[in-house]
Amino acid sequence: MTTLAPTSSSTAAPPLPPTPRRIGAPLRPRDFGWADAGILAASLLSSFLLVWVVFYQVTLLSGIFGFLLCWYAAFLALYWVVTTQVVDRQAATDRTATVVVVTGAFLVLGIVAFIVGWVTWKGVGHLHTNLFVKDMSHFVPADRNVLHQIGVLHAIVGTVEQVGIAAAIGVPVAVTTAVFLNEVGGRGTRIVRTVVTAMSGLPSIVAGVFVYSILVETSVSRYSGFLASLALFILILPSVTRTTEEVLRIVPGGLREASLALGASEFRTVWSVVLPTARSGMITASLLGIAIAVGETAPLIFTSFGNNNMNVNPFHGAQAALPLVLYDFVRQPQGALIDLAYATAFILLALVLILFVLARVLGRQRSTSGALRARLRSVLRPSARSGGSENPSPVGGRAGRPPLEILTVSPNPKEPLLP
Amino acid sequence: MTLTATNDRNTVSDVQPTPGTGAAGLVAREVCAWFSGRLVLEGVTLAMPRSTVTALIGPSGCGKSTFLRILNRMHELVPGAQLAGSVELDGTDIYAGRLRATDTRRNIGMVFQKPNPFPAMSIYDNVLSGLKFSRISVSDRDALVEVSLTKAGLWNEVKNRMRELGGALSGGQQQRLCIARALAVEPRVLLMDEPCSALDPTSTARIEQTIADIADEVTVVIVTHNMQQAQRVSDVCAFFLAAENEPGRIIEAGPTDVIFGSPTDERTSDYVHGRFG
Repeated sequence: MTTLAPTSSSTAAPPLPPTPRRIGAPLRPRDFGWADAGILAASLLSSFLLVWVVFYQVTLLSGIFGFLLCWYAAFLALYWVVTTQVVDRQAATDRTATVVVVTGAFLVLGIVAFIVGWVTWKGVGHLHTNLFVKDMSHFVPADRNVLHQIGVLHAIVGTVEQVGIAAAIGVPVAVTTAVFLNEVGGRGTRIVRTVVTAMSGLPSIVAGVFVYSILVETSVSRYSGFLASLALFILILPSVTRTTEEVLRIVPGGLREASLALGASEFRTVWSVVLPTARSGMITASLLGIAIAVGETAPLIFTSFGNNNMNVNPFHGAQAALPLVLYDFVRQPQGALIDLAYATAFILLALVLILFVLARVLGRQRSTSGALRARLRSVLRPSARSGGSENPSPVGGRAGRPPLEILTVSPNPKEPLLP
Repeated sequence: MTLTATNDRNTVSDVQPTPGTGAAGLVAREVCAWFSGRLVLEGVTLAMPRSTVTALIGPSGCGKSTFLRILNRMHELVPGAQLAGSVELDGTDIYAGRLRATDTRRNIGMVFQKPNPFPAMSIYDNVLSGLKFSRISVSDRDALVEVSLTKAGLWNEVKNRMRELGGALSGGQQQRLCIARALAVEPRVLLMDEPCSALDPTSTARIEQTIADIADEVTVVIVTHNMQQAQRVSDVCAFFLAAENEPGRIIEAGPTDVIFGSPTDERTSDYVHGRFG
């Protein structure tokens, strides 16, 4: 609800405060009344019935997807027509467009919620402690009795190591490339950008076959987790590079100028000003890359190969990974193994979620360790946070940041605070 | 002589920054500037005496800011920028091949039109950023921060907020933080490119006070569109003008009271009295 600021108070105090009135026409969710809901529900129902009669009874078409599409189209048309009876045409068009946009949002949200919910529902019930502490060395697919004795710890270790190494190589290389593209420039920019763009269209299995054919087939190396990291590195490089480049591009040019005008070299400018300013965006970029790498299965078949036994050394010998184990389980005929596959998928999702949360927390706070401790403290003690928000400073105390008092609890010893 | 923008930028040299401290005089001789082959500034010769405030005035697009950026070698950062002539800092040409641009910029600081504190750094770190970039160590950092902020007239407002981010300040405070940041490396000349154009009158007055306070220890060159400001803060004034499709030139330069009181050129008189521009 939009309220107007009270007008001049030079006259005597009015007996009643001015009544706020709404300005502007758009229908906002909070204004959504019973009448609006009724129109929406009636449109949904009548379009359903209409399309059902026409689609299945009159034209004898079949198929659920065609029906849903026709229903939705008829619903929009009907909703628009009905709304024009209540408000004018422009407002009706506006509300219909709102419905389309909201549908899109709910569709995406629904798909994600459905996938996560389905995997959780099917997987959580089959989680047991052994899954996290054992490997599959005693695994016999036909023997139901060993199913509770096996675990996927070896695959968790493999995935963490392979993705970790891939990110440890990939993120610095990608950031360096992005800095080259955006900060250094020059003749090579166009060709590098073209190559990076072309790489982002590379099918993941090709990356695996590429590493296989130049390293395994030529007997340079045997299967190992590190080879998987190399394949994953090829896959995350273009994504992280392009995203980082976009993030660097929105760092204001004035900051670079300010730094150079202080006598900083171009390297110092990038290192101390541009990259710290873009830090949170770069963490998002790295996350996207890691999210790509965690779920890849195809390139692993050719590189880390898979292994039922625990192998903690990523540089020697075949190594398991969660997607590979998942793939193995799903292909087995027994229902019990399919259940294990869901449990494994749940672990994979949880792993990605933990990584995301971790990176978000790290990305939000400032780099000094003192500030990190202070943030943890403020998170653990919500009362301290609310107390600090009474900071009288006019422009300080921005939402989401720990207040100054908490930050100064444990200052970095290298940077003494001023009195 | 025409220098290309990049040929001497990364020259490795063991030449130390121009020796000496305290305010230094700047002399520009026959400076011409090009952007991608287009001449934008021609034959500018101007002396900016030690410990004075020089104001560069003139309508938009006459090359004042370009000239200012030539004075600390920021001009060469623009791709396709070229230059002729020389700029001498206490008699040493800053464009001589052996000198590094970074050393020049440390001696000749700059404050920009739009306040640009580093958003990822606290107020404290912002002030010290120039030293950090140049790897200069200071025995008492806290004292330096206090002195710099005091010179910029900001200390009392921020002394209890040292750990807040620079972006949390108001626009006028941010600009004074930028001045403090520029002063912390102890430049010998400070260039200001319309430092008050984005600020309210109160903040403008604070910054003008700051300019008056620091003029003893650092030579100030300021670009401004505000005639009253030029009159208030400057000792020397240079009037730039560019005729249509022609490069900018200095029409008249001299003591501020002469430029505003009895200019010899009619165009100067028209401009300072607000008859055009």
